[in-house]
Amino acid sequence: MHWRNSDIMIETDVLVIGAGPSGSIAAKYAALGGANVILIDKKSEIGSPKRCAEGVSKEGLKFLGIEPQPIWAVKEIEGIRLVAPDGTDVWLNDEIKLPEAGYILERKVFDKHMAMDAGRAGAEIKIKTLAKSLKKEGDHYIVSCESMGKEFDIKTKILIGADGPESHIGRWAGLKTGTKPKDMESGVQFEMCNVKMKNHSVLEFYFGSVAPGGYVWIFPKGEDIANVGLGIIQTETDKTAYEYLVDFVESCPATKDAKIVELNVGGDPVGGLVKDLSSDNILIVGDAAGQVHPLTGGGIINGMTCGMFAGEVAAKSIKNGDYSQKQLSEYDKRCKYLLEDKMNKYLKVRDYLASLSDDELNSIAATFQDVEFEEISAVELVKKLVKISPKALLKLGKLF
Amino acid sequence: MIVRDWCMYCGECAGVCPRNLILLKETELVFDDSKCRECNICIEICPVNALEK
Ligand SMILES: Cc1cc2nc3c(=O)[nH]c(=O)nc-3n(C[C@H](O)[C@H](O)[C@H](O)COP(=O)(O)OP(=O)(O)OC[C@H]3O[C@@H](n4cnc5c(N)ncnc54)[C@H](O)[C@@H]3O)c2cc1C
Ligand code: SF4
Ligand code: SF4
Repeated sequence: MHWRNSDIMIETDVLVIGAGPSGSIAAKYAALGGANVILIDKKSEIGSPKRCAEGVSKEGLKFLGIEPQPIWAVKEIEGIRLVAPDGTDVWLNDEIKLPEAGYILERKVFDKHMAMDAGRAGAEIKIKTLAKSLKKEGDHYIVSCESMGKEFDIKTKILIGADGPESHIGRWAGLKTGTKPKDMESGVQFEMCNVKMKNHSVLEFYFGSVAPGGYVWIFPKGEDIANVGLGIIQTETDKTAYEYLVDFVESCPATKDAKIVELNVGGDPVGGLVKDLSSDNILIVGDAAGQVHPLTGGGIINGMTCGMFAGEVAAKSIKNGDYSQKQLSEYDKRCKYLLEDKMNKYLKVRDYLASLSDDELNSIAATFQDVEFEEISAVELVKKLVKISPKALLKLGKLF
Repeated sequence: MIVRDWCMYCGECAGVCPRNLILLKETELVFDDSKCRECNICIEICPVNALEK
Protein backbone atom coordinates (compact mmCIF):
# COMPACT_ATOMS: atom_id res chain seq x y z
CA MET A 1 0.00 0.00 0.00
CA HIS A 2 1.56 3.28 -1.07
CA TRP A 3 -0.17 6.34 0.32
CA ARG A 4 -1.10 8.89 -2.34
CA ASN A 5 -2.42 12.33 -1.46
CA SER A 6 -5.03 13.93 -3.64
CA ASP A 7 -6.37 17.46 -3.92
CA ILE A 8 -10.00 16.47 -3.51
CA MET A 9 -11.22 15.57 -0.04
CA ILE A 10 -14.74 14.37 0.81
CA GLU A 11 -15.74 14.19 4.48
CA THR A 12 -18.19 11.79 6.10
CA ASP A 13 -19.11 10.17 9.43
CA VAL A 14 -19.01 6.57 8.24
CA LEU A 15 -17.33 5.11 5.15
CA VAL A 16 -18.24 1.54 4.25
CA ILE A 17 -15.85 -0.15 1.81
CA GLY A 18 -17.55 -2.98 -0.09
CA ALA A 19 -21.21 -3.19 -1.13
CA GLY A 20 -21.66 -6.93 -0.62
CA PRO A 21 -24.55 -7.93 1.64
CA SER A 22 -22.54 -7.24 4.82
CA GLY A 23 -21.41 -3.76 3.78
CA SER A 24 -24.78 -2.69 2.40
CA ILE A 25 -26.66 -3.60 5.56
CA ALA A 26 -23.98 -1.90 7.71
CA ALA A 27 -24.44 1.26 5.62
CA LYS A 28 -28.21 0.99 5.94
CA TYR A 29 -28.21 0.75 9.73
CA ALA A 30 -25.56 3.44 10.15
CA ALA A 31 -27.70 5.77 8.01
CA LEU A 32 -30.91 4.82 9.83
CA GLY A 33 -29.08 5.68 13.07
CA GLY A 34 -28.57 9.22 11.81
CA ALA A 35 -24.96 9.11 10.55
CA ASN A 36 -23.73 10.51 7.24
CA VAL A 37 -22.71 7.43 5.29
CA ILE A 38 -20.83 6.73 2.08
CA LEU A 39 -20.83 3.18 0.66
CA ILE A 40 -18.26 2.44 -2.04
CA ASP A 41 -17.60 -0.59 -4.24
CA LYS A 42 -15.05 -1.09 -6.97
CA LYS A 43 -17.51 -3.03 -9.10
CA SER A 44 -19.45 -1.45 -11.92
CA GLU A 45 -22.40 -3.68 -11.07
CA ILE A 46 -23.08 -4.50 -7.43
CA GLY A 47 -23.55 -8.25 -6.98
CA SER A 48 -21.92 -9.26 -10.24
CA PRO A 49 -20.14 -11.56 -10.89
CA LYS A 50 -21.60 -13.75 -8.17
CA ARG A 51 -19.27 -15.80 -6.02
CA CYS A 52 -21.83 -17.87 -4.21
CA ALA A 53 -24.10 -20.93 -4.24
CA GLU A 54 -26.88 -18.57 -3.13
CA GLY A 55 -28.42 -20.55 -0.28
CA VAL A 56 -29.85 -18.69 2.76
CA SER A 57 -32.05 -19.74 5.67
CA LYS A 58 -35.56 -18.41 6.03
CA GLU A 59 -34.94 -17.82 9.72
CA GLY A 60 -31.91 -15.69 8.96
CA LEU A 61 -33.75 -13.36 6.61
CA LYS A 62 -36.62 -13.10 9.08
CA PHE A 63 -34.26 -12.15 11.90
CA LEU A 64 -32.91 -9.36 9.67
CA GLY A 65 -36.44 -8.15 8.97
CA ILE A 66 -36.01 -8.73 5.23
CA GLU A 67 -39.18 -9.76 3.43
CA PRO A 68 -38.35 -12.28 0.65
CA GLN A 69 -39.09 -10.83 -2.80
CA PRO A 70 -39.82 -13.21 -5.69
CA ILE A 71 -37.38 -11.22 -7.85
CA TRP A 72 -34.40 -12.34 -5.75
CA ALA A 73 -35.68 -15.32 -3.71
CA VAL A 74 -36.05 -17.59 -6.71
CA LYS A 75 -36.57 -21.02 -5.17
CA GLU A 76 -37.88 -22.39 -1.88
CA ILE A 77 -35.95 -25.25 -0.34
CA GLU A 78 -37.67 -28.03 1.58
CA GLY A 79 -34.93 -30.37 2.62
CA ILE A 80 -31.52 -31.82 1.96
CA ARG A 81 -29.99 -34.92 0.45
CA LEU A 82 -26.55 -36.05 1.57
CA VAL A 83 -24.64 -38.35 -0.76
CA ALA A 84 -21.73 -40.60 0.25
CA PRO A 85 -18.93 -41.51 -2.18
CA ASP A 86 -20.56 -44.86 -3.08
CA GLY A 87 -23.88 -43.15 -3.86
CA THR A 88 -25.66 -44.10 -0.61
CA ASP A 89 -27.90 -41.18 0.13
CA VAL A 90 -29.54 -39.77 3.23
CA TRP A 91 -32.71 -37.76 2.71
CA LEU A 92 -33.85 -35.20 5.21
CA ASN A 93 -37.02 -33.75 3.91
CA ASP A 94 -40.59 -34.75 4.63
CA GLU A 95 -42.31 -34.35 7.96
CA ILE A 96 -39.41 -33.18 10.05
CA LYS A 97 -38.86 -29.73 11.47
CA LEU A 98 -37.06 -27.41 9.15
CA PRO A 99 -35.19 -24.68 11.03
CA GLU A 100 -32.69 -24.48 8.19
CA ALA A 101 -35.22 -24.44 5.39
CA GLY A 102 -34.46 -21.64 3.05
CA TYR A 103 -34.30 -19.93 -0.28
CA ILE A 104 -31.97 -19.93 -3.21
CA LEU A 105 -31.26 -16.34 -4.11
CA GLU A 106 -30.41 -14.60 -7.32
CA ARG A 107 -27.40 -12.88 -5.70
CA LYS A 108 -26.90 -10.43 -8.55
CA VAL A 109 -30.37 -9.07 -7.83
CA PHE A 110 -30.31 -9.55 -4.04
CA ASP A 111 -27.02 -7.69 -3.51
CA LYS A 112 -28.24 -4.79 -5.61
CA HIS A 113 -31.48 -4.62 -3.64
CA MET A 114 -29.58 -4.58 -0.35
CA ALA A 115 -27.50 -1.67 -1.64
CA MET A 116 -30.71 0.08 -2.71
CA ASP A 117 -32.04 -0.35 0.85
CA ALA A 118 -28.89 1.41 2.10
CA GLY A 119 -29.40 4.16 -0.47
CA ARG A 120 -33.03 4.62 0.52
CA ALA A 121 -31.99 4.84 4.17
CA GLY A 122 -29.82 7.81 3.19
CA ALA A 123 -26.39 6.38 2.40
CA GLU A 124 -24.56 7.82 -0.58
CA ILE A 125 -23.41 5.08 -2.97
CA LYS A 126 -20.35 5.26 -5.18
CA ILE A 127 -19.85 2.34 -7.56
CA LYS A 128 -16.75 1.69 -9.66
CA THR A 129 -14.81 3.28 -6.80
CA LEU A 130 -11.73 1.46 -5.51
CA ALA A 131 -10.18 2.04 -2.09
CA LYS A 132 -6.44 1.97 -2.81
CA SER A 133 -4.81 2.83 0.48
CA LEU A 134 -5.57 4.39 3.83
CA LYS A 135 -3.93 6.18 6.70
CA LYS A 136 -4.94 7.13 10.21
CA GLU A 137 -4.68 10.80 11.09
CA GLY A 138 -5.80 12.03 14.51
CA ASP A 139 -9.33 10.84 15.18
CA HIS A 140 -10.18 9.78 11.63
CA TYR A 141 -9.11 7.73 8.64
CA ILE A 142 -8.29 9.09 5.21
CA VAL A 143 -8.92 6.64 2.40
CA SER A 144 -7.44 7.22 -1.02
CA CYS A 145 -9.88 6.25 -3.78
CA GLU A 146 -9.92 5.94 -7.55
CA SER A 147 -13.00 6.14 -9.75
CA MET A 148 -13.20 6.37 -13.54
CA GLY A 149 -9.68 7.76 -13.80
CA LYS A 150 -10.12 10.32 -10.99
CA GLU A 151 -8.36 10.17 -7.64
CA PHE A 152 -9.80 11.58 -4.43
CA ASP A 153 -9.63 11.08 -0.67
CA ILE A 154 -12.43 10.35 1.76
CA LYS A 155 -11.95 11.51 5.33
CA THR A 156 -14.09 9.49 7.72
CA LYS A 157 -14.63 9.27 11.47
CA ILE A 158 -15.44 5.58 11.27
CA LEU A 159 -14.31 3.14 8.60
CA ILE A 160 -16.18 -0.12 8.05
CA GLY A 161 -14.13 -2.71 6.12
CA ALA A 162 -16.60 -4.96 4.27
CA ASP A 163 -14.26 -5.87 1.44
CA GLY A 164 -14.91 -9.61 1.39
CA PRO A 165 -12.28 -12.36 1.18
CA GLU A 166 -9.62 -9.95 -0.10
CA SER A 167 -9.74 -8.27 3.31
CA HIS A 168 -7.16 -5.57 2.58
CA ILE A 169 -8.83 -2.87 4.64
CA GLY A 170 -8.39 -4.64 7.99
CA ARG A 171 -4.80 -5.56 7.19
CA TRP A 172 -3.93 -2.03 6.08
CA ALA A 173 -5.31 -0.81 9.42
CA GLY A 174 -3.28 -3.34 11.42
CA LEU A 175 -6.04 -5.88 12.15
CA LYS A 176 -5.34 -9.56 11.55
CA THR A 177 -7.60 -10.18 8.55
CA GLY A 178 -6.43 -12.21 5.56
CA THR A 179 -6.77 -15.98 5.35
CA LYS A 180 -4.32 -18.86 5.65
CA PRO A 181 -4.42 -21.19 2.62
CA LYS A 182 -5.53 -24.10 4.84
CA ASP A 183 -8.57 -22.04 5.89
CA MET A 184 -9.61 -20.83 2.44
CA GLU A 185 -12.21 -22.93 0.63
CA SER A 186 -11.33 -22.64 -3.03
CA GLY A 187 -14.66 -22.53 -4.82
CA VAL A 188 -15.74 -23.16 -8.41
CA GLN A 189 -19.29 -23.41 -9.64
CA PHE A 190 -21.27 -23.86 -12.83
CA GLU A 191 -24.79 -22.60 -13.17
CA MET A 192 -26.41 -25.26 -15.33
CA CYS A 193 -29.67 -26.16 -16.99
CA ASN A 194 -30.93 -29.61 -17.91
CA VAL A 195 -29.94 -30.79 -14.44
CA LYS A 196 -31.80 -33.97 -13.48
CA MET A 197 -32.24 -33.92 -9.73
CA LYS A 198 -34.28 -36.57 -7.92
CA ASN A 199 -36.17 -33.75 -6.18
CA HIS A 200 -35.67 -30.19 -7.32
CA SER A 201 -36.68 -28.70 -3.96
CA VAL A 202 -33.83 -30.16 -1.92
CA LEU A 203 -30.20 -29.15 -1.59
CA GLU A 204 -27.74 -31.90 -2.48
CA PHE A 205 -24.35 -32.35 -0.84
CA TYR A 206 -21.70 -34.85 -1.98
CA PHE A 207 -18.82 -35.74 0.34
CA GLY A 208 -15.45 -37.46 0.16
CA SER A 209 -12.66 -37.50 -2.38
CA VAL A 210 -14.87 -35.65 -4.90
CA ALA A 211 -13.88 -32.50 -2.97
CA PRO A 212 -11.02 -32.85 -0.45
CA GLY A 213 -11.53 -30.59 2.57
CA GLY A 214 -14.95 -29.47 1.35
CA TYR A 215 -17.97 -30.84 -0.49
CA VAL A 216 -19.85 -30.67 -3.78
CA TRP A 217 -23.22 -28.95 -3.81
CA ILE A 218 -26.16 -28.95 -6.19
CA PHE A 219 -28.48 -26.10 -5.23
CA PRO A 220 -31.60 -25.96 -7.40
CA LYS A 221 -32.73 -22.61 -8.81
CA GLY A 222 -35.62 -23.93 -10.88
CA GLU A 223 -37.00 -27.20 -12.18
CA ASP A 224 -33.92 -28.07 -14.22
CA ILE A 225 -31.63 -25.18 -13.27
CA ALA A 226 -29.04 -25.46 -10.50
CA ASN A 227 -25.80 -24.11 -9.08
CA VAL A 228 -23.40 -27.04 -9.23
CA GLY A 229 -20.17 -26.32 -7.44
CA LEU A 230 -17.56 -27.35 -4.94
CA GLY A 231 -15.10 -26.03 -2.43
CA ILE A 232 -11.79 -27.70 -1.69
CA ILE A 233 -8.87 -26.90 0.55
CA GLN A 234 -6.17 -26.42 -2.05
CA THR A 235 -3.36 -27.44 0.30
CA GLU A 236 -4.87 -30.98 0.40
CA THR A 237 -4.34 -31.67 -3.32
CA ASP A 238 -2.44 -30.75 -6.49
CA LYS A 239 -5.53 -30.77 -8.72
CA THR A 240 -7.32 -27.43 -9.13
CA ALA A 241 -10.85 -26.87 -7.90
CA TYR A 242 -11.89 -26.39 -11.53
CA GLU A 243 -10.54 -29.82 -12.51
CA TYR A 244 -12.43 -31.43 -9.62
CA LEU A 245 -15.66 -29.82 -10.75
CA VAL A 246 -15.26 -30.86 -14.37
CA ASP A 247 -14.66 -34.46 -13.23
CA PHE A 248 -17.67 -34.40 -10.93
CA VAL A 249 -20.05 -32.95 -13.47
CA GLU A 250 -19.06 -35.58 -16.05
CA SER A 251 -19.65 -38.47 -13.68
CA CYS A 252 -22.68 -37.42 -11.62
CA PRO A 253 -25.99 -38.76 -13.05
CA ALA A 254 -27.75 -35.46 -12.26
CA THR A 255 -25.30 -33.33 -14.23
CA LYS A 256 -23.73 -35.42 -16.96
CA ASP A 257 -26.20 -34.14 -19.56
CA ALA A 258 -26.52 -30.67 -18.08
CA LYS A 259 -25.40 -27.51 -19.91
CA ILE A 260 -23.21 -24.82 -18.42
CA VAL A 261 -24.40 -21.22 -18.69
CA GLU A 262 -22.16 -19.55 -16.12
CA LEU A 263 -18.80 -20.09 -14.40
CA ASN A 264 -18.24 -18.70 -10.90
CA VAL A 265 -15.01 -18.71 -8.95
CA GLY A 266 -14.06 -17.50 -5.50
CA GLY A 267 -12.54 -18.07 -2.09
CA ASP A 268 -14.54 -18.62 1.09
CA PRO A 269 -12.69 -18.00 4.37
CA VAL A 270 -13.75 -20.77 6.77
CA GLY A 271 -11.10 -20.43 9.49
CA GLY A 272 -13.38 -18.70 11.99
CA LEU A 273 -13.73 -15.20 13.39
CA VAL A 274 -10.83 -12.77 13.10
CA LYS A 275 -9.53 -12.09 16.63
CA ASP A 276 -10.20 -8.35 16.85
CA LEU A 277 -13.16 -7.02 14.87
CA SER A 278 -12.55 -3.38 15.70
CA SER A 279 -9.91 -0.89 16.61
CA ASP A 280 -9.95 2.90 17.00
CA ASN A 281 -12.11 4.35 14.17
CA ILE A 282 -12.54 1.02 12.34
CA LEU A 283 -14.80 -2.05 12.24
CA ILE A 284 -14.56 -5.07 9.95
CA VAL A 285 -17.56 -7.15 8.84
CA GLY A 286 -18.54 -10.14 6.72
CA ASP A 287 -16.05 -12.39 4.95
CA ALA A 288 -13.34 -9.86 5.72
CA ALA A 289 -13.91 -10.62 9.42
CA GLY A 290 -14.23 -14.40 9.00
CA GLN A 291 -17.96 -14.40 9.74
CA VAL A 292 -18.51 -17.56 7.69
CA HIS A 293 -19.92 -20.87 8.96
CA PRO A 294 -16.81 -23.10 9.08
CA LEU A 295 -18.72 -26.21 8.07
CA THR A 296 -21.15 -25.05 5.39
CA GLY A 297 -19.22 -22.04 4.12
CA GLY A 298 -22.40 -19.97 4.39
CA GLY A 299 -21.59 -16.34 5.06
CA ILE A 300 -24.52 -14.25 3.88
CA ILE A 301 -26.70 -14.32 7.00
CA ASN A 302 -23.83 -14.19 9.52
CA GLY A 303 -22.17 -11.36 7.62
CA MET A 304 -25.42 -9.43 7.35
CA THR A 305 -26.32 -9.91 11.01
CA CYS A 306 -22.90 -8.64 12.08
CA GLY A 307 -23.16 -5.92 9.42
CA MET A 308 -26.37 -4.74 11.07
CA PHE A 309 -24.58 -4.68 14.45
CA ALA A 310 -21.70 -2.73 12.90
CA GLY A 311 -24.07 -0.11 11.44
CA GLU A 312 -25.88 0.31 14.74
CA VAL A 313 -22.69 0.59 16.78
CA ALA A 314 -21.17 3.04 14.28
CA ALA A 315 -24.25 5.27 14.39
CA LYS A 316 -24.25 5.24 18.19
CA SER A 317 -20.55 6.15 18.28
CA ILE A 318 -21.14 9.06 15.91
CA LYS A 319 -23.95 10.29 18.18
CA ASN A 320 -21.68 10.05 21.22
CA GLY A 321 -18.76 11.65 19.38
CA ASP A 322 -16.56 8.75 20.52
CA TYR A 323 -14.93 6.51 17.89
CA SER A 324 -12.45 4.79 20.17
CA GLN A 325 -11.90 1.05 20.27
CA LYS A 326 -13.49 1.08 23.71
CA GLN A 327 -16.76 2.46 22.31
CA LEU A 328 -16.64 0.27 19.19
CA SER A 329 -15.88 -2.91 21.13
CA GLU A 330 -19.62 -3.28 21.70
CA TYR A 331 -19.57 -4.58 18.13
CA ASP A 332 -16.96 -7.26 18.96
CA LYS A 333 -19.03 -8.33 21.96
CA ARG A 334 -22.25 -8.68 19.99
CA CYS A 335 -20.60 -10.65 17.16
CA LYS A 336 -18.75 -12.94 19.52
CA TYR A 337 -21.86 -13.58 21.60
CA LEU A 338 -23.69 -14.57 18.42
CA LEU A 339 -20.98 -16.58 16.70
CA GLU A 340 -17.89 -17.53 18.69
CA ASP A 341 -19.02 -20.73 20.50
CA LYS A 342 -20.93 -21.99 17.49
CA MET A 343 -17.98 -21.40 15.18
CA ASN A 344 -15.44 -23.04 17.45
CA LYS A 345 -17.63 -26.16 17.55
CA TYR A 346 -18.04 -26.30 13.80
CA LEU A 347 -14.32 -25.77 13.21
CA LYS A 348 -13.85 -29.07 15.08
CA VAL A 349 -16.57 -30.74 13.00
CA ARG A 350 -14.89 -29.52 9.83
CA ASP A 351 -11.56 -31.05 10.89
CA TYR A 352 -13.33 -34.27 11.79
CA LEU A 353 -15.16 -34.50 8.45
CA ALA A 354 -11.97 -33.79 6.54
CA SER A 355 -10.30 -36.69 8.36
CA LEU A 356 -12.83 -39.28 7.11
CA SER A 357 -11.99 -41.64 4.28
CA ASP A 358 -14.48 -42.49 1.55
CA ASP A 359 -15.05 -45.89 3.23
CA GLU A 360 -15.82 -44.27 6.56
CA LEU A 361 -18.27 -41.87 4.91
CA ASN A 362 -19.98 -44.77 3.12
CA SER A 363 -20.46 -46.67 6.34
CA ILE A 364 -21.81 -43.58 8.13
CA ALA A 365 -24.32 -43.08 5.30
CA ALA A 366 -25.32 -46.73 5.53
CA THR A 367 -25.94 -46.47 9.28
CA PHE A 368 -27.86 -43.21 8.81
CA GLN A 369 -30.46 -45.14 6.75
CA ASP A 370 -32.13 -46.32 9.97
CA VAL A 371 -31.83 -43.09 11.92
CA GLU A 372 -34.88 -40.91 12.54
CA PHE A 373 -34.01 -37.25 12.28
CA GLU A 374 -36.07 -34.85 14.33
CA GLU A 375 -35.11 -31.76 12.41
CA ILE A 376 -32.96 -30.71 9.49
CA SER A 377 -30.01 -28.89 10.87
CA ALA A 378 -26.26 -29.27 11.09
CA VAL A 379 -26.54 -29.64 14.88
CA GLU A 380 -29.03 -32.49 14.58
CA LEU A 381 -26.79 -34.26 12.04
CA VAL A 382 -23.74 -34.05 14.25
CA LYS A 383 -25.74 -35.19 17.29
CA LYS A 384 -26.86 -38.28 15.40
CA LEU A 385 -23.35 -38.83 14.06
CA VAL A 386 -21.96 -38.87 17.59
CA LYS A 387 -24.54 -41.56 18.46
CA ILE A 388 -23.56 -43.93 15.64
CA SER A 389 -19.83 -43.39 15.22
CA PRO A 390 -17.30 -44.09 18.00
CA LYS A 391 -14.72 -41.93 16.20
CA ALA A 392 -17.17 -39.01 16.11
CA LEU A 393 -18.06 -39.57 19.76
CA LEU A 394 -14.39 -39.40 20.67
CA LYS A 395 -13.73 -36.19 18.74
CA LEU A 396 -17.02 -34.34 19.06
CA GLY A 397 -18.95 -36.02 21.90
CA LYS A 398 -18.19 -33.32 24.45
CA LEU A 399 -19.29 -30.53 22.13
CA PHE A 400 -22.70 -31.72 21.01
CA MET B 1 3.79 -12.55 -11.91
CA ILE B 2 2.03 -13.49 -15.13
CA VAL B 3 -1.77 -13.39 -15.02
CA ARG B 4 -3.23 -15.62 -17.70
CA ASP B 5 -6.20 -14.37 -19.65
CA TRP B 6 -8.64 -16.82 -18.05
CA CYS B 7 -8.24 -15.18 -14.62
CA MET B 8 -11.74 -14.72 -13.17
CA TYR B 9 -10.78 -11.71 -10.99
CA CYS B 10 -12.23 -13.41 -7.94
CA GLY B 11 -9.62 -12.07 -5.50
CA GLU B 12 -8.99 -15.37 -3.72
CA CYS B 13 -5.23 -15.04 -4.32
CA ALA B 14 -5.33 -11.53 -2.81
CA GLY B 15 -6.97 -12.90 0.33
CA VAL B 16 -4.22 -15.44 1.00
CA CYS B 17 -1.06 -13.54 0.03
CA PRO B 18 0.69 -13.42 3.41
CA ARG B 19 2.32 -10.11 2.47
CA ASN B 20 -0.87 -8.50 1.16
CA LEU B 21 0.74 -7.65 -2.18
CA ILE B 22 -2.11 -8.39 -4.59
CA LEU B 23 -4.69 -5.69 -5.34
CA LEU B 24 -7.68 -6.55 -7.48
CA LYS B 25 -9.15 -3.70 -9.47
CA GLU B 26 -12.41 -4.71 -11.07
CA THR B 27 -10.75 -6.55 -13.96
CA GLU B 28 -7.05 -6.16 -13.32
CA LEU B 29 -4.73 -7.85 -10.82
CA VAL B 30 -1.89 -5.64 -9.62
CA PHE B 31 1.10 -7.32 -7.91
CA ASP B 32 3.64 -5.45 -5.84
CA ASP B 33 6.41 -7.65 -7.26
CA SER B 34 9.20 -5.79 -5.49
CA LYS B 35 8.12 -7.23 -2.12
CA CYS B 36 7.14 -10.71 -3.32
CA ARG B 37 8.82 -13.55 -1.42
CA GLU B 38 7.97 -16.08 -4.13
CA CYS B 39 6.17 -18.33 -1.64
CA ASN B 40 3.85 -19.44 -4.48
CA ILE B 41 0.82 -19.47 -2.19
CA CYS B 42 -1.17 -17.34 -4.65
CA ILE B 43 -0.24 -19.61 -7.56
CA GLU B 44 -1.23 -22.76 -5.69
CA ILE B 45 -4.57 -21.47 -4.38
CA CYS B 46 -5.98 -20.21 -7.68
CA PRO B 47 -9.05 -22.35 -8.47
CA VAL B 48 -8.43 -22.05 -12.22
CA ASN B 49 -4.62 -22.07 -12.31
CA ALA B 50 -4.35 -18.60 -13.82
CA LEU B 51 -1.06 -17.46 -12.27
CA GLU B 52 2.44 -18.20 -13.46
CA LYS B 53 5.81 -16.98 -12.21
C1 LIG C 1 -18.24 -20.59 -4.26
C2 LIG C 1 -18.91 -19.98 -3.08
C3 LIG C 1 -20.18 -20.40 -2.70
C4 LIG C 1 -20.82 -19.82 -1.59
N1 LIG C 1 -22.09 -20.22 -1.27
C5 LIG C 1 -22.75 -19.62 -0.24
C6 LIG C 1 -24.10 -19.97 0.07
O1 LIG C 1 -24.73 -20.80 -0.59
N2 LIG C 1 -24.70 -19.35 1.11
C7 LIG C 1 -24.06 -18.40 1.86
O2 LIG C 1 -24.65 -17.88 2.82
N3 LIG C 1 -22.79 -18.03 1.57
C8 LIG C 1 -22.11 -18.61 0.54
N4 LIG C 1 -20.83 -18.23 0.23
C9 LIG C 1 -20.22 -17.15 1.02
C10 LIG C 1 -20.80 -15.81 0.62
O3 LIG C 1 -20.71 -15.61 -0.76
C11 LIG C 1 -20.04 -14.69 1.36
O4 LIG C 1 -19.99 -15.02 2.74
C12 LIG C 1 -20.70 -13.34 1.19
O5 LIG C 1 -20.69 -12.89 -0.13
C13 LIG C 1 -19.96 -12.34 2.06
O6 LIG C 1 -20.48 -11.06 1.89
P1 LIG C 1 -19.58 -9.78 2.16
O7 LIG C 1 -20.50 -8.63 2.04
O8 LIG C 1 -18.82 -9.96 3.43
O9 LIG C 1 -18.48 -9.79 1.02
P2 LIG C 1 -18.62 -9.79 -0.58
O10 LIG C 1 -19.94 -10.27 -0.99
O11 LIG C 1 -17.42 -10.49 -1.07
O12 LIG C 1 -18.52 -8.25 -0.95
C14 LIG C 1 -17.32 -7.53 -0.83
C15 LIG C 1 -17.41 -6.34 -1.76
O13 LIG C 1 -16.31 -5.47 -1.52
C16 LIG C 1 -15.86 -4.93 -2.73
N5 LIG C 1 -14.46 -4.53 -2.54
C17 LIG C 1 -13.42 -5.32 -2.18
N6 LIG C 1 -12.29 -4.59 -2.08
C18 LIG C 1 -12.62 -3.31 -2.38
C19 LIG C 1 -11.88 -2.09 -2.44
N7 LIG C 1 -10.56 -2.07 -2.16
N8 LIG C 1 -12.53 -0.96 -2.80
C20 LIG C 1 -13.86 -0.99 -3.10
N9 LIG C 1 -14.61 -2.11 -3.04
C21 LIG C 1 -14.00 -3.26 -2.68
C22 LIG C 1 -16.03 -6.08 -3.71
O14 LIG C 1 -16.13 -5.60 -5.04
C23 LIG C 1 -17.33 -6.72 -3.23
O15 LIG C 1 -18.46 -6.22 -3.90
C24 LIG C 1 -20.16 -18.80 -0.86
C25 LIG C 1 -18.88 -18.39 -1.25
C26 LIG C 1 -18.26 -18.96 -2.34
C27 LIG C 1 -16.90 -18.47 -2.75
S1 SF4 D 1 -7.34 -16.58 -7.60
FE1 SF4 D 1 -6.92 -16.97 -9.77
S2 SF4 D 1 -8.83 -16.43 -10.83
FE2 SF4 D 1 -8.95 -15.54 -8.79
S3 SF4 D 1 -8.15 -13.44 -9.06
FE3 SF4 D 1 -6.41 -14.71 -8.41
S4 SF4 D 1 -5.46 -15.36 -10.33
FE4 SF4 D 1 -7.50 -14.61 -10.87
S1 SF4 E 1 4.20 -15.50 -4.33
FE1 SF4 E 1 3.62 -15.28 -2.16
S2 SF4 E 1 4.34 -13.22 -1.56
FE2 SF4 E 1 4.39 -13.31 -3.81
S3 SF4 E 1 2.42 -12.42 -4.42
FE3 SF4 E 1 2.14 -14.66 -4.32
S4 SF4 E 1 1.40 -15.07 -2.27
FE4 SF4 E 1 2.22 -12.98 -2.26
